Amino acid sequence: MMTSFYGTHEIPVKIKNEKLYIDVEKTADNLIYKREYAGEKIEKLILSSEARIHINPIEPVNLPKEITPYLLIEFEKPLIVGPRQTKDAFMTFPVEIGVYISDKRNFELIDILALAKKKFTLYGEPQNGVICKYWRSDVYTSEPLANSHYEGILNLHIKNISNKWQEVTKTVFNAYGMKIYYSEKQVSMRANMKILSDATAETDFIDSPLKKKMKKSLELYTLRKLPIVSAKYIMQEGI
Amino acid sequence: MLDKIVYGNVTVLNLIIASAIILAAIFIDKLLTLHLKKSLKNKVNKAHLEIIVKVVYYAIIAIAILIVLSMLGIQPSGLLVAGGIAGIVIGFASQSIVGNLISGIFLIIERPIKIGNVVDIDGTMGFVEDIRIVATTIRTYDGICVRIPNEKVFTTNITNYFANAARRFEYVVGIRYSDNADKAIQIIRELIEVEPFALKYPKPQVFVHNLGDNSVNIVVRPWAPSTYWYDLKMELLWKIKKTLEKNGIEIAFPQRTLWFANELKSSTTKKTESGKSNNS
Repeated sequence: MMTSFYGTHEIPVKIKNEKLYIDVEKTADNLIYKREYAGEKIEKLILSSEARIHINPIEPVNLPKEITPYLLIEFEKPLIVGPRQTKDAFMTFPVEIGVYISDKRNFELIDILALAKKKFTLYGEPQNGVICKYWRSDVYTSEPLANSHYEGILNLHIKNISNKWQEVTKTVFNAYGMKIYYSEKQVSMRANMKILSDATAETDFIDSPLKKKMKKSLELYTLRKLPIVSAKYIMQEGI
Repeated sequence: MLDKIVYGNVTVLNLIIASAIILAAIFIDKLLTLHLKKSLKNKVNKAHLEIIVKVVYYAIIAIAILIVLSMLGIQPSGLLVAGGIAGIVIGFASQSIVGNLISGIFLIIERPIKIGNVVDIDGTMGFVEDIRIVATTIRTYDGICVRIPNEKVFTTNITNYFANAARRFEYVVGIRYSDNADKAIQIIRELIEVEPFALKYPKPQVFVHNLGDNSVNIVVRPWAPSTYWYDLKMELLWKIKKTLEKNGIEIAFPQRTLWFANELKSSTTKKTESGKSNNS
């Protein structure tokens, strides 16, 4: 594990582990950003001499290409929730790491990397479904251990408002509205899943950290896009 | 300023209120249709639900337009008569233009294609660049822009490759009879699993399709996002070939085993001849 990976870094920056290497160094009047991961090398020239580097987890829907704002988490084992019951469960989600450069006020994303597996899936049928980033996770009743560079911890607040027992095998989230918090050792999100009926549920995020001292990540999807899209997601193709 | 008369008794304020009514109607429409979709999802058939939602949507818009028209001092009945007469005149004068125009309106309402979609319209395949009121512009894969009159677009067969979120494609991989087909299937499945754009669901199909003349034919059918299927198709087949070969599984090529009748005869003759000499 690397120490003080996430957070604000003064230049020069050198971060190295067995697979990842990030280096930001000063030349005469400029900065050079270098990153190596899994054989992929990136080098960027930054035309500024004064800047800071911020590394924080971002919404995990950008890599390998940003083709969808949705994240689907499939559970290793189904969850059964009783009628009119509210329960908390924990699971993991993939982490994507955003590298920002900033002056005193403005932040600009210069690089995104992901150490976790990247995979897409279809939620629903081909004719009316949506493409989602895919992640498979075990379900826990207490906080699991997770390597914060690969995966974060999702605290899912499940509320079954129907009058039936419901079996939940997956959940889908909209990246517009994700509230990611981080500390040196942990990345986390808190979300609600309201089960409306056999095949329908509504998901959204809670804007609060899992632990008190966690910092809030810069929200990529509100920095880059106009907030005209609802932050909620209505799962209509099964739960 | 707001009391300034624009025409007749219509003031600037009337125009602002009219615009606000239209915007409010669109906003209410969005909310209402979303609510209808949510609440009727499990109670009404999907096709019927779409009709209900569309009827409600256009009814609200129509009511808003009627309110706005009366506010602006325009009598809808008069408009219809005037529009009808104008329509007849224009129709006689330029039938094809009006035909294209009406087709364009229906294309915009029905939306069988959207800007950015990859479509095949009457043999012209490419990206939809623009849908205008009279014609639709297609940019072919060679970068050529083709302008197709809307009447043709509307009346011809349209294949829209982006209409659905995902699509499937197929390879046939022929391996030798001496190779282990189970192992080949497992290798191909693992390759699909690590490809990000090969969708997890719907599950890909990999199976022995038939026992060919020269090879055991394995069919590979992965699903991919409609927007990225061709990228995946270009990459995956070569990866399959290389990985299979790395694991000692060869792609079979046509071959024939020939048995020579003469060879058999000559060996028989030799035996006969040697038998004769022994006897002598």
